[in-house]
Amino acid sequence: MIADVDGRETSGLEARALCVSYGGNVAVSGASLTAPLGRITGLIGPNGAGKTTTFNACNGLVRPTSGSVLLGGRDVTRVGTASRARLGMGRTFQQVQVCTGMSVRANVALGAEIALIGRNPLRQFAGGRGQRQVVAERTDAALETCGIGRLADASVTVLSTGQRRLVELARVLASGYQMLLLDEPSSGLDETETAHFGEILTGVVAERGVGMLLVEHDMSLVMKVCTYIYVLDFGNMIFEGTPAEVRASSQVRAAYLGEEDGLAAVAGEATS
Amino acid sequence: MLPFIIGGLVTGSLYGLSGIGLVLTYRTSGVFNFGHGAVAAAAAFLFYRLHDQWSVPWPFAVLIVLVGFVIVVGPVLELVTRSLNDAAAAVIVVATVGLFLAIYGGLTVAVHDAVRSLPPFLPQTGFTISSVLVSWEDVITAGIALFGAVGLYLFMRLTRLGVAMRAVVDNPTLVRLTGERPVRIRRVAWSIGSGFAAISGILLARSQGLDALQLTFLVVQAFGACAIGRFSSLPMTYVGGLIVGVVSAIASDYVTKPPFSQLPSAVPFIALIIVLLVVPLSKLPRGTLAFRGLVSDTKELSRLWGGTIVGVLAVLLILVPHVVGAYLPVWISAESNFVIFASLALLVWTSGQISLCQMAFAALGATTMGHLVAHGVPWPLALLLAGLLTVPVGALVAIPAIRLSGIYLALVTLGFGIVMQFVIYPTFLMFGSGLTVNSTRPDFGPVSGSDTSVYYVDLVVVALVALGLVMIHRSRFGRLLRAMSETPTMLATLGLSVNVTRLMVFCISAFIAGVGGGLVITQFTVGSTVFPPLQSLIIIAVLAISALLGTRVLLSSAIAALLMEVVPGYATSFNSDHQTLTFGVAALAAGLVLANRSALATWVQRQSTARGDRLEHGPVTARRSREDDQFVSLVSQ
Repeated sequence: MIADVDGRETSGLEARALCVSYGGNVAVSGASLTAPLGRITGLIGPNGAGKTTTFNACNGLVRPTSGSVLLGGRDVTRVGTASRARLGMGRTFQQVQVCTGMSVRANVALGAEIALIGRNPLRQFAGGRGQRQVVAERTDAALETCGIGRLADASVTVLSTGQRRLVELARVLASGYQMLLLDEPSSGLDETETAHFGEILTGVVAERGVGMLLVEHDMSLVMKVCTYIYVLDFGNMIFEGTPAEVRASSQVRAAYLGEEDGLAAVAGEATS
Repeated sequence: MLPFIIGGLVTGSLYGLSGIGLVLTYRTSGVFNFGHGAVAAAAAFLFYRLHDQWSVPWPFAVLIVLVGFVIVVGPVLELVTRSLNDAAAAVIVVATVGLFLAIYGGLTVAVHDAVRSLPPFLPQTGFTISSVLVSWEDVITAGIALFGAVGLYLFMRLTRLGVAMRAVVDNPTLVRLTGERPVRIRRVAWSIGSGFAAISGILLARSQGLDALQLTFLVVQAFGACAIGRFSSLPMTYVGGLIVGVVSAIASDYVTKPPFSQLPSAVPFIALIIVLLVVPLSKLPRGTLAFRGLVSDTKELSRLWGGTIVGVLAVLLILVPHVVGAYLPVWISAESNFVIFASLALLVWTSGQISLCQMAFAALGATTMGHLVAHGVPWPLALLLAGLLTVPVGALVAIPAIRLSGIYLALVTLGFGIVMQFVIYPTFLMFGSGLTVNSTRPDFGPVSGSDTSVYYVDLVVVALVALGLVMIHRSRFGRLLRAMSETPTMLATLGLSVNVTRLMVFCISAFIAGVGGGLVITQFTVGSTVFPPLQSLIIIAVLAISALLGTRVLLSSAIAALLMEVVPGYATSFNSDHQTLTFGVAALAAGLVLANRSALATWVQRQSTARGDRLEHGPVTARRSREDDQFVSLVSQ
């Protein structure tokens, strides 16, 4: 099920020459990226570079004007968001989306339950035999992986943003996706929380072999957890490479600060 | 043909004028005023009183009404609705529907006999165009409307205040930063809106007569004009009014035979529905499009509490016929109402949808039940079928719910309910040309048709519906609905076909409403007047009042049924006009409380803790006294 990390790169997510425009404004022009399973791929860029648009196009919330999106080698460009999720792509949100009327466990269980519903409308009413058990197991495992087991029965309204992000992560983990898209998970988190979140991400990849695409502002997180990074500016992919290469690139620095000593300064301290 | 076109243009320009006022207030304040038509009707009645009863010459009477609405009514409405501008759409709907009912109820209480005609006050003479007489009255009416529309357009383009108004639509915070006060701008918008409503109300009453309900719904026809203007363009709203007016008038020339003789009145609402179904969502203003339901109280009762409550309630409800005596019919009505309220509460409180056509579902259930029993179908089976045959209609309403939410969904469902009333109610499928369906007292097996047995049979149905709702809320589907009311996009990214969920909740709601309608007809022979669109507004208002005690579906349905049937049943001097007024005022208040719930909670908390002894030495007090000291030292320096 889990692809060989070093060899085949077709598994996971691939975007080919994506173009997205809103009215006459071109937000993304010809962005291509590959986010294979078993590692964390970063997508960075200054404000307004088109990161979230690219991300939403991968996810199906935005329809690209041209280009294609492949999931596990299959073209999903014309497939809706929910269907992409059923094919194994989950996502989190920059503005954390949790159900405030429910406990942490119920929120996480939602991920497991919806994964079991699939396309069958009758399954929305009740699971088949033994599904309750499966939901409970997956929920507990996800809570444990994210280290929020002790918060399970708390209401999400009393949680901090950092804890809510972990609830969101646990929810997509409970769904059992192969590919996770994380939208600016560090926003609203302090340095310690960000570092903790990064450790959990690397732990999840090591343990479950899933692929992740991380859209981020926070350089310290990206540099630490990503094995490969794409840099977007004004809708164009201007650079790609390992964290070390990105750090060394004058092109990236120029994009970020418009001058030579750009990224080093940015990478040095955690920005939010 | 030509006379109809001219008549249509005149009426249409008034729809356009009131539509412009509505769009202006909606766009600047974010509050879509469902009570706009009632404001217009109030102006017409005030004019009538001044001109006809107190003999004020008509130009002065018009001036007094206009000035009163611009200076008093507009700012008051702005003040009342101010806190609603970023409330959940359901709250805005409930509050402004409350405003609608309050004004309409107030008018019917103040003016006892319903229909009067307003004696003509504009010159009746005129000129002829190809042998059709065009009266100066018509010319003046259309001229005033055109003048208002063009004047506002120029005002928005050319004056500083007009430009500021357009800016508030885009970004009120940014406008505040420039030193302009958004509140002042909104007040102007509400004044203009109320003024336009007043003029169109007076001029519509001139040709349509003084009937509070009819006048109110005539201006509701402006919703169709607003839709054609995509709720944003003022000139297109005016044009939309003309289109709606002319098409209705031409339709009334062609379609004159029953059962479709009322089709022309439905034209604006058909336009409303078509536009909202066809226009791309990105072309509609997004102000209140954000999907935000009211979070339902979800804490499950403990087994002990739940069991005790069910036990006590069961005993009380079984005892009712032995205690209430001659009031039993009131309690039977409460039973059917409970079921209808429950269907609405499931939709609004649990799943975050909204429906202003719930009574159309109930009407369909009632007529189906009546027809089936008349054709010899056994009573229990007929009731089940009454629910099931309403389901396809629920599915039909779910189609707009897939694209729309909030205000637009409320508008589409309101339009749907009105179209049902005008077009489908008179057909043989429902009430037929006689507009009544005979009652179907349960009379099977050991059950006789007495009131007591009707009560008990209905009680069994109520219990089954309640049980079904409890099961839904405890099931996976209940969890999905609650999550959907908060964040449907998130559910889609998890792989849920949210549209299927929406479709199913509308189907279930329609089923329950159909069953409720089936119960309504067990008691009385009912006519179509039992299920008018107005009633759909009243039930959502009453449900909102009950929500002050929490949004538990069964509890709020039960309280709503008591408010709606049992209270007026005992207090008979509390007639239906007083009820409408009271429910309207209470729903408006409830909407305001719901909109400011968190602010109120904070205020209450502050009031109670400020006096609390234990906080006298707490950190807040300490900090406050320190700040006071610093302040004193600053002042004394």
